[in-house]
Amino acid sequence: MNGWIGALLALAALTLIKATPLIYAALGGVLSERSGVVNIGLEGILIAGAFTAVIVSGATGSPVLGALAGVVAGALLAALLAYAATRLAVDQIVAGTGLNIAALAAAAFGLVLVYHQPGASHEVPALGQTGEDALIVLALVAAVGLHLALTRTPWGLRVRACGEDPSAAESAGIDALRTRFLAVVIGGAIAALGGVFLSLGELDLYSDGMTAGRGFIALAAVIFGRWTPLGATGAAIFFGFFAALQFSLQRAGVPSEVMQALPYVAALVALAGFAGRVRAPASDGVPYIRP
Amino acid sequence: MNALWRVRGLRDLLVVIVLVFGVGSIAMLLAHVSPIDGFSALFDGAFGTWEEIAETLVQTTNLLFPALGIAVAFRAGMFNIGAEGQLILGGFAAGWLGAQVPAPAWIAIPMVLIAGALAGGVWGAIPGFLRARFGANEVIATLMLNVIAVLLATYLVTGPLIQAGGGAQETALLPKAAQLGDLVPDSRLTWAFPLALVLAFALRWVLQRTVFGYELRAAGEAPEAAKRAGIDLGRTALVAMAISGALAGLGGATIVTGVLHRFNVGLSPGYGFIGIAVALVGNLDPLWICVAALGFGILQSGGIAMQAEAEVPKQVVSLVTGLVIIALAGRRVVASRRTT
Repeated sequence: MNGWIGALLALAALTLIKATPLIYAALGGVLSERSGVVNIGLEGILIAGAFTAVIVSGATGSPVLGALAGVVAGALLAALLAYAATRLAVDQIVAGTGLNIAALAAAAFGLVLVYHQPGASHEVPALGQTGEDALIVLALVAAVGLHLALTRTPWGLRVRACGEDPSAAESAGIDALRTRFLAVVIGGAIAALGGVFLSLGELDLYSDGMTAGRGFIALAAVIFGRWTPLGATGAAIFFGFFAALQFSLQRAGVPSEVMQALPYVAALVALAGFAGRVRAPASDGVPYIRP
Repeated sequence: MNALWRVRGLRDLLVVIVLVFGVGSIAMLLAHVSPIDGFSALFDGAFGTWEEIAETLVQTTNLLFPALGIAVAFRAGMFNIGAEGQLILGGFAAGWLGAQVPAPAWIAIPMVLIAGALAGGVWGAIPGFLRARFGANEVIATLMLNVIAVLLATYLVTGPLIQAGGGAQETALLPKAAQLGDLVPDSRLTWAFPLALVLAFALRWVLQRTVFGYELRAAGEAPEAAKRAGIDLGRTALVAMAISGALAGLGGATIVTGVLHRFNVGLSPGYGFIGIAVALVGNLDPLWICVAALGFGILQSGGIAMQAEAEVPKQVVSLVTGLVIIALAGRRVVASRRTT
């Protein structure tokens, strides 16, 4: 009896650990997309957060400073995408794809420059158990906070208006480009915390490929969660649960590839509308060009 | 309109050159290498000997197939960023079938190439179908299918379709009859290179000179008008994505039968993504894409030499490629994505 409860608690804890980076990235994605900018670059932002946090923590000896630097790096990378998407009105998908490639390469290059070895950094001061727990709780708080901000505040209404119909928003006196820019940058800062969690929360180093496509799973969570903060968080926890189960199910004979593919297949199903009414913000991904 | 595009093309070319040499130089200086040494190592590695020239053309070929596929989809207004997955599954189908079914060369080689094109075509048709039937966004769908393709290939090659004689995550070695002949002795350059060039010319002819090509471009450039003119947008989406996937899958098959002689899950260092940069730099025009593929082929093959000779990490090449994609994301052709 006690063994079962213990195992369930351990599974729940592992689920939260696996879900936390997905929650942060998905929340960043929700905020960005609700303002009308599709952020394919979430994977790159996770990488930037994870990498910068390790470099700064290693250089200063302070994991907290590292975490802050990671958030700033994510925001800066998002600002690059936001500038291209709003002021230059470029295609967001293409720009985001480029961002992912550039971020992965820049981090790999940076590792060689700083640590003179490819593949992984040295171990650096990490956030420890307390920090890891704090980031898990913060992810859940951020989900509720973003939900309230989007649905109950004038700012949230403005963001959503820009995602649905930016020209109508502009005629109501909202600066659509500015609103989108800020939403993407704040979204990038939130998403970068997922990267910080991976490198300084769960571990104490950065290694190439450590984000392992979590930015894409987060995109799937955004869709599966119907572009809402709470829905996306639920989807992230759902995907985290299967990631946590992976090892036990593998022992029971379920191939690990099947488990890993689950979030992506679920997103495809949701996209095709099999999972009920799923609708993206009307102007999601469409550049707004002032007349 | 055409003249405007040509000017834009020149401007884009300038941006690419500035990025390659500017960012490349900064990265080399950061690595304490003089840019002159770094770039001469790169170009020497790409052109220094006949073998190196052949290897540059191998990389050009590997980029050309997915880039042509991406261009077909983009021209039809379909955002196929799933070329990587289509290429991997094409490679798997080719490698598995080629090693499984012994046949004389005149059957084996077409069989392997067609298997690759079919597998890639089906994988590309899935998001096309989801788009045509359910209005599902093809960008997210292809993105998801990329990851699913890698997992599916890994599962098949290590599980139900495992072959004796393959290493971890590999199929068995192809019999000699199923291997594509060398074009230059002692190199990895095969008939896949001229095949890619012929396909590029054929594709340009189809796009510019046939009714089908006209419908495809109309669907991409003015979907509303195309719909009113009686063009079935769902059908063009499906067909364009299937062709796009088939070209990428064929590319995967040529890597397997020509270069590696077996399928390996890690057969592509991201050709499907670099292909996006190649297609954009090539202005989505099959002939210019050949030129762009040569440019990125030089970076790919020279990058390895640059790392070995001048000790500049080869990730600089990926970094520059990513920045080129961001810089060229403003293309008008791409911006006219259809919303229905």
